[in-house]
Amino acid sequence: MSRPDIILETRALKRRFVTHKPLFGAPIEVRAVDGIDLSIRRGETFAIVGESGCGKSTLARMLVRLIDPSEGAVIYDNKDISKLGQKEMRALRSDLQFIFQDPFSSLNPRMTVGALIEEPLRAHGIGTREERRVRVADLLSRVGLMPQHADRYPHEFSGGQRQRIGIARALAASPKVLIGDEPVSALDVSIQAQVVNLLEDLKEEFGLTLIIIAHDLAVIRHMADRVGVMYLGELVEVGPVDEIFANPRHPYTEALIAAIPVPRVGARAKGHAVEGDPPNPIAPPPGCRFHPRCPYAEARCRQERPRLAPIAEGESVACHRHEELSLNGLVEGAAGRAPAAEKRFNLYRAARATSEGAKPSDNSPPPFPSNKE
Amino acid sequence: MPDDAAPLLEVTDLSIRFGKAPTNLVDGVSLTLERGETLCIVGESGCGKSLTALALMGLLPMPPARLMSGRAMFEGRDLLHLPIAELKDIRGDRMAMIFQEPMTSLNPAIKVGEQIAEAVRRHRGASHEEARARALEMLMRVRIPAPEKRLDEYPHQMSGGMRQRAMIAMALANDPALLIADEPTTALDVTVQAQVLDLMRNLQAESNAALIMITHDLGVVAEMADKVAVMYAGRIVEAGPVKAIFDDPQHPYTIGLMSSMPDLGPRGGRLVTIPGVVPPADAMPEGCRFASRCPFAGPDCAEAPPLSDFGGGHRVACWRAPLEQAAEPLQTLGGAR
Ligand SMILES: Nc1ncnc2c1ncn2[C@@H]1O[C@H](COP(=O)(O)OP(=O)(O)OP(=O)(O)O)[C@@H](O)[C@H]1O
Ligand SMILES: Nc1ncnc2c1ncn2[C@@H]1O[C@H](COP(=O)(O)OP(=O)(O)O)[C@@H](O)[C@H]1O
Ligand code: SF4
Ligand code: SF4
Ligand SMILES: [Mg+2]
Ligand SMILES: [Mg+2]
Repeated sequence: MSRPDIILETRALKRRFVTHKPLFGAPIEVRAVDGIDLSIRRGETFAIVGESGCGKSTLARMLVRLIDPSEGAVIYDNKDISKLGQKEMRALRSDLQFIFQDPFSSLNPRMTVGALIEEPLRAHGIGTREERRVRVADLLSRVGLMPQHADRYPHEFSGGQRQRIGIARALAASPKVLIGDEPVSALDVSIQAQVVNLLEDLKEEFGLTLIIIAHDLAVIRHMADRVGVMYLGELVEVGPVDEIFANPRHPYTEALIAAIPVPRVGARAKGHAVEGDPPNPIAPPPGCRFHPRCPYAEARCRQERPRLAPIAEGESVACHRHEELSLNGLVEGAAGRAPAAEKRFNLYRAARATSEGAKPSDNSPPPFPSNKE
Repeated sequence: MPDDAAPLLEVTDLSIRFGKAPTNLVDGVSLTLERGETLCIVGESGCGKSLTALALMGLLPMPPARLMSGRAMFEGRDLLHLPIAELKDIRGDRMAMIFQEPMTSLNPAIKVGEQIAEAVRRHRGASHEEARARALEMLMRVRIPAPEKRLDEYPHQMSGGMRQRAMIAMALANDPALLIADEPTTALDVTVQAQVLDLMRNLQAESNAALIMITHDLGVVAEMADKVAVMYAGRIVEAGPVKAIFDDPQHPYTIGLMSSMPDLGPRGGRLVTIPGVVPPADAMPEGCRFASRCPFAGPDCAEAPPLSDFGGGHRVACWRAPLEQAAEPLQTLGGAR
């Protein structure tokens, strides 16, 4: 068994935030990320999923050192980047790029799109001004915009187009790893599909490693090779995407999958929602952190904290009972379409292919308000 | 007394625009809803779903909005032409609305229990004690843990999912016949969304209230709807029983929406998308409004297609439906535009 080619790794990674400093006594801390060991393979798409507040964004930001870890290490290409100084980190920055969730607030409204995309190039002193101009034009067309869009401002673009601008900007520095924190969550489903396709095309074209945070499990199912499931600052299960959806090994993964609203009438068994809210990371429950909501919890779960341990090649789980439990994956019939729907879908796809041959593809929506071409 | 044979709600030809805008943002929308029935309105953002809901609730400020046409008969009265005082009596009583953001209807400065009790007092003339008892009962019915304690909490002391429940409790406190929910679970985690959807389904079965649920999530539609209206750029482009919409979709927009959604099965290549974006109000195509994005569009689409009946209450507004009949001659039309 040869060790897979690991591009990015974390070791016992932790991050605490002080939320409140009382006059006396210890400050109140939230343990946003609480001991994560993760290995990302070169060229894969790795997805991170979990409920709001479980630490996904904090983890993602530490991976590119937008924030510093409290403890532990982030190892990129055999270097512990969490210990690097500003200067050494600068040299690595271009390798690790970040795409933000909110295309509306992540772009400086006073900069033109061209200047925004050029900025990382300038910062790294790449190329002459003319070379950079050419590169910006090239990047714009790569993400399905037009070179003349370089002179416009972000507010002149729709949400999906702004997300494309963010992606072009991230690509400018020729990254090796692209990390998207909910890169399509704010978008309508039709625009989301365009951006998902774009990300996958670019990954192929540039040989990227993609790390995607998403709460939409269908998007994860579609994009990811492997999935890490987070609960309250910890990874509770890691595995290949097909295994995670067909044979979840952690009760929390099972609960997440059971909650997916399935777009087929009558497909999902109703009334099997996991109880309770995501708990508060300021005072995580003792033992297994999922135990207050876990239908399989027993005495031991309330005291002993299960550790993430390998169960098969590329699969790990943190549950005391994973061997005895037999958990449900995605319901039968959740995928696929009825025959008539399938027929129409094929007609639609064929018509899309024909009209795409005749005119630019979905990657070139017209500029936003004046789209009456 | 309202006619028992009539539908609970019958909306006819609702059209709305803003100020001097050249086009209607809600254009000729007609809907009917029976008691106990759930209608889901689905479509991308900006398609007029919320405007439709707000207009029915009398919550759309006019001006700047203008009612261009329409009637909305509800229990014998036209909601669109009712004096404000009468509307206020119906709202929160016979009909109620829940929003994506609970703080739209919850007052941050008032304890949750008092807010619910106040809604009961206003419409039912209940005593202080009766109203408080009703508030407690409602918190129990929406399954908020430790309801006695929660009565005296402020909204900000609750989690997002809990606040959503509290808002539902308030909306249902007077047993409305009609509930309109605008993206009620969009901001919630999938696990909490599943809880809230289960809850809404159960409460509805108990009370026989009719529900209009607005969402952009086809998964939520498949779970909740009896019937569906697909809206695009202010118009209903396809409507019918939920089974017909999912298993026999007819309109290119409906089909495009479905194919844009990643499938839950093992991966099957690129997603088949809808090109472009919803046109802004000042650039609405003449005729079929989907024409600027439709791969089947041809010259004839410059005229607006009527919403025609395809049997069993399945209505579609597309010149090419059913698509398989149109597929042949289409080759010569050469796709979009
Ligand atoms: N700068 C900060 N100061 C204090 N607490 C923080 C800070 N950033 C994050 N937290 C807390 O850390 C925890 C994890 O937050 P994080 O943003 O990583 O969650 P997330 O999984 O990305 O959630 P979401 O799905 O809502 O984006 C939360 O409890 C959050 O409130
Ligand atoms: N107060 C307003 N003034 C002008 N235009 C508005 C106003 N409210 C909504 N609109 C426009 O009406 C259209 C439909 O909006 P809305 O009903 O909120 O869409 P949806 O709920 O389907 O996302 C959009 O183009 C939106 O920009
Ligand atoms: S360790 Fe116990 S409580 Fe935790 S997930 Fe496993 S069975 Fe449930
Ligand atoms: S084929 Fe024509 S009428 Fe039908 S949806 Fe497309 S543009 Fe509209
Ligand atoms: Mg986050
Ligand atoms: Mg809306």
